Amino acid sequence: MVTTDYNNNEKILTCSFPDRLDTNASLVIGEEINNTMGSIPELNGPSDTIAARIVFDMKDTSFISSSFIRICVATAKKVPAGHFSIRNCDPFIKKTFKISGLDIILNVT
Amino acid sequence: MAETLQEKADDVLNRAILAAAEFQQFDQAQTDHIVEAVFKAGLNARVKLAKMAVEETGIGIWQHKVWKNVIATQLVYESIKNEKTVGSISDDPVTGITEIAQPLGPVFAVTPVTNPTSTAMYKILICLKTRNPIIISAHRGAAKCTAEAARICYEAALEAGAPEDCIQVISSGSRDFTHTIMAHPKLALILATGGTGLVNAAYSSGNPAIGVGPGNVPVFIDETADLPFAVESIITSKTFDNGTICASEQSIVVEEKMEPQVRKEFERQHCYFLTPEEIKKVEKIAIVPETMSMSPFIVGQSVETIATKAGITVPEGTKILMAKLDGVGKEYPLSHEVLAPILAYYSAKNYHQAIHLCIDLNYLGGIGHSAGIYSNNEKRIMEFSQVINAGRIVVNTPTSHGAVGGTYNMLLPSLTLGCGTGGKNITTENISAKHLINIQRVCRRKMNDKFMSVNHALYLDENSNDAVLQYDYHKNH
Repeated sequence: MVTTDYNNNEKILTCSFPDRLDTNASLVIGEEINNTMGSIPELNGPSDTIAARIVFDMKDTSFISSSFIRICVATAKKVPAGHFSIRNCDPFIKKTFKISGLDIILNVT
Repeated sequence: MAETLQEKADDVLNRAILAAAEFQQFDQAQTDHIVEAVFKAGLNARVKLAKMAVEETGIGIWQHKVWKNVIATQLVYESIKNEKTVGSISDDPVTGITEIAQPLGPVFAVTPVTNPTSTAMYKILICLKTRNPIIISAHRGAAKCTAEAARICYEAALEAGAPEDCIQVISSGSRDFTHTIMAHPKLALILATGGTGLVNAAYSSGNPAIGVGPGNVPVFIDETADLPFAVESIITSKTFDNGTICASEQSIVVEEKMEPQVRKEFERQHCYFLTPEEIKKVEKIAIVPETMSMSPFIVGQSVETIATKAGITVPEGTKILMAKLDGVGKEYPLSHEVLAPILAYYSAKNYHQAIHLCIDLNYLGGIGHSAGIYSNNEKRIMEFSQVINAGRIVVNTPTSHGAVGGTYNMLLPSLTLGCGTGGKNITTENISAKHLINIQRVCRRKMNDKFMSVNHALYLDENSNDAVLQYDYHKNH
């Protein structure tokens, strides 16, 4: 469900998502992201020692559930501050993060 | 380490705000699908929940609580199902204004012990219809049945695709916890139905509130009224769920010349007039003297229970205890609101004194709530209505049923009745879905031709008075 691309040179894991991220889809996606992160050595270990970055690319997504927002928070907590960001949100998704009050912590643009 | 009240409140509001974030993405069809599923689940649970409520609270009559549950689900649903509450809700090409409905955010709903399951389900429906997550604070005396009503609604909502945590119930928390939630910066609105203390706390929380407090409903029986019909109607209303609806009749006012007939009619229809000594005994158990508020121990109790508590004997089958009083105020405790089958009764010298009495009763703790009149004289109905401060003046109708709406008239069915500024509310309407949306107005450019045609130099000239300016504004250019 989630498409991942790890750039070894820049040490950036980019995750792209489908159109609708409802509660059921988010359950699957959460597991997929965990598995992917587990397979990348630069994303393992104590969070303050991690050098890699994670980007959630929302360019194809038009709906997100509260479960997906929780996944964003959980993922952001696994890396040092500033190493997680959410990119290419459509205005409705941007507003959704704004309402949640988590847009700054999650570095949403 | 134990969670602090603030941490607990943060957890509840963080869940609610995530639900709000998800919910605001839903369209009208998705929203309506959820509301339909929830109303059906609530309606199907009406009997079970009514029995649970009576068993847990010891208040009221289960068959009547079934009706309240029906009003709160079926009738509320029918009144809101076709309402537009998402996205563009109106578009006027003449004014160039388009209205867009947006949700408010998390709503904190306080529910009373008198109508616990019905109020919870009604508030859930109007919140979901407007895409607002709801946090329900159940009255301590009705925590189980309220939680069960919420659970039934929540499961149906989730099944229909609603966001997780769109309905939450906080267990019978402390007053401090309730206040912490009410003042939380992530809360959008407090929808408080209850006593004066609660409503005042809601208004002083710093968050917007729709708080609806007590009533003290006077009912005037005019000489043109159909007397047997009026008395039957009053009995139907005052005995409904043992008088627990805040819009139920509290005082009956009649003119002296027809008083014997009215009394006879009440007696014929199995109401019992207390003697002065019996009134004293009932006062003692019905009203707390320090606060002049009703005793919680008699709320929603039957005539038999009240008589036993008061140590008086009444005829078997008595429907209402009638207390003939000579005045209004603290010297006459039963002139205050009592949510039980006890009714104050006044004989006025004439029509004008009767109206004066109704005004006094209306202002004794029930400003802005509801009032009733039985009359076939339209002029008197309008005179009465214009001097009474009530959001609802119900005519030839049981006030309990009439004020709540949906059955005896075309008022919006509701279990939260706005009392206007007299009751410290922002509205006198019956609260429904339309009060739970933010309406944004898209205002397209539409020039005010009259203003644009005015010689604007006139405004800068101190010698141009209102007559000159009005002439120039209205003249044909």
